[in-house]
Amino acid sequence: MTPAAESRGFAGGWLSLPMLAAFALFGTLPLWIERVGLYRYLGVEILIWCIFALGFNLLLGYTGLPSFGHGAYFGIGAYAIGLTQFHLVANLWVGLLAATLAAAAVGGGVALFISHRRGIYFALMTIAFGQMFFFIASKWTSVTGGEDGLLNIQRLPADLGLVAFDLTSNLALSYFVFATFVGVTALLWRLVHSPFGKVLRAIKQNETRMAYLGYRVFVYKWASFTLSCAVAGLAGGLFAMAQNGAYVQVMSLQWSGVVVLMALVGGGLVSFWGPVVGTVIYFVARDLLGAYTESWLLWFGLMFMLVVMFKPEGVAGLGQDAVARLGARRRARAIALQPAAGE
Amino acid sequence: MDLLITLGPHLLNGLALGLLFALVALGFMLIIGVMEVINLAHGSLFALGAYVAVALVTPDGGLRLAALAPYFGLPIPSRFVVALLLAPVLVAGVGMALEVCLRRTYGRDPLYGLLLTFGAALVLEELIRLVWGPTERFLPVPAAITGGITVGGLIYSVYRFFASAFAVAMILLLWLFLQRTRYGALIKAGAHDSEMVRALGVNLPRLRLLVFAFGTALAAVAGIVMAPIWGVRPHVGVDAVVPAFVVIVLGGVGSFWGAVIAGLLVGMVVGITGAFATAWSLVSMYILLIVVVTIRGRGLLGKKSVLER
Repeated sequence: MTPAAESRGFAGGWLSLPMLAAFALFGTLPLWIERVGLYRYLGVEILIWCIFALGFNLLLGYTGLPSFGHGAYFGIGAYAIGLTQFHLVANLWVGLLAATLAAAAVGGGVALFISHRRGIYFALMTIAFGQMFFFIASKWTSVTGGEDGLLNIQRLPADLGLVAFDLTSNLALSYFVFATFVGVTALLWRLVHSPFGKVLRAIKQNETRMAYLGYRVFVYKWASFTLSCAVAGLAGGLFAMAQNGAYVQVMSLQWSGVVVLMALVGGGLVSFWGPVVGTVIYFVARDLLGAYTESWLLWFGLMFMLVVMFKPEGVAGLGQDAVARLGARRRARAIALQPAAGE
Repeated sequence: MDLLITLGPHLLNGLALGLLFALVALGFMLIIGVMEVINLAHGSLFALGAYVAVALVTPDGGLRLAALAPYFGLPIPSRFVVALLLAPVLVAGVGMALEVCLRRTYGRDPLYGLLLTFGAALVLEELIRLVWGPTERFLPVPAAITGGITVGGLIYSVYRFFASAFAVAMILLLWLFLQRTRYGALIKAGAHDSEMVRALGVNLPRLRLLVFAFGTALAAVAGIVMAPIWGVRPHVGVDAVVPAFVVIVLGGVGSFWGAVIAGLLVGMVVGITGAFATAWSLVSMYILLIVVVTIRGRGLLGKKSVLER
């Protein structure tokens, strides 16, 4: 039940087939998304939430720690990029760095309080902290704009010294977010296949054993939490750019739950790519079901309940089952053919 | 003395709030104890209780059957009592359906139970929106428990006294039930070691079903009593379930009086903060939680628990 099923891939472990497929699919997204009846901005949104869900899954899928307050760090990233832009300096890179660092700093602080906890206690404490940040963001009107949010966050140009790309169009932003997605995925992929990632998986399986083996479990859990908060903050910063504003809703308990839902429906427990699959399913379901019914979340919630009850490994789990069954059938056929070949 | 007079109403409001938080938290804790499941849908069931009560009290509150016209001819106090008795039973039915779904998660990582109930919370909240719409509803209250009384020159809402008294009565009844009846003993034993209870020949699936129904009914009752104070919105569940988490962790998972003390403490802190900085009253309870849990890892009266695995 650990997302270790994937092979290490090639190019020194930096690349793998599903990764290339994901990159090809998302890289060409702006070219075909409108042809299949969706719209360009949806592609941007999907990629941003993919980054969030992948970072979240470092915690849930790899370390086995359920955080039900991760929307808070996404939101902190969103506010950080806006506040940096308004009060400090109007630079894209500084803004994104601020979003990442602010979420990492707050997440790191929270992790100091909760990293020695497990299971249900851990989940309850993440909810409590998440709600605290949610209320602070919604009440601290002078800084966060309260219920109205931070408005007019600009999509600043991506200045690379020699050339600067204007990101105001959804197309340009789409490519920029894709580039970030590639970077984040490559880093996370490398991380989970490093010795550090192996320790996280072992902690997920049996924390006590790891502690007796001499690993400082607290430090690893702290690092896992902080890193996933940093990724959430980066995604939040991108989201604030995409939305041209930072709003408190993403920090609510419900949105924090939605990222858990994305990671799980796709199969984050058994596959690195599960969260990506889940995010795509979530957004496509929102648009397709949403076109027919106001209460699409009702149907999505029912689907989610069925997944948890019958296939907690999610869509990726279904895929892995199918591959395993296919392999078994091929082996069975090979065995059946052997006597014939021997005659 | 002046300070006490200014704080008086806030402390009393905090007391009423705290008792209701404790009531929600105790239903929540019964379920954690026996099922080892954090029921994230507890708040939605709290909200559902309030909505079903609205349907049973107001003619345009969701039940538009012509055959019910004679029933809605009854005076409001009678309908309110019917709602207070019947709505929790109906909501308990929903809780039992949820428990049947949860059976597949027993014996596995507690994460799955948590996730399943999160899905259920989404479903219930959307169902409420579908049936009753997104706008706020109001639960009419019998005239006998409305209005205000004057004590020492200050006016207090009579309804809050009713709500506090009701919550105290429920908490005491629950305590007696757990201490003095066979089922209470079974529930406590089930929370301690459910496998041993099963080995002793107790019908564990039925015990779990009943405990879930019972916990859900407590949530629904609290939802109804709270409705005239908080209003009835689809989202009201989150406002109730999150303080319940706080109360449980603060009081110590598995401790009855821990939850009651923590509920009162949280209510008081929210009430006092409300007196000085209204906007921040809901943040204060988290700060209280973090301070207490940093000093006492298992909460105020917590014991070593099955949930720490």
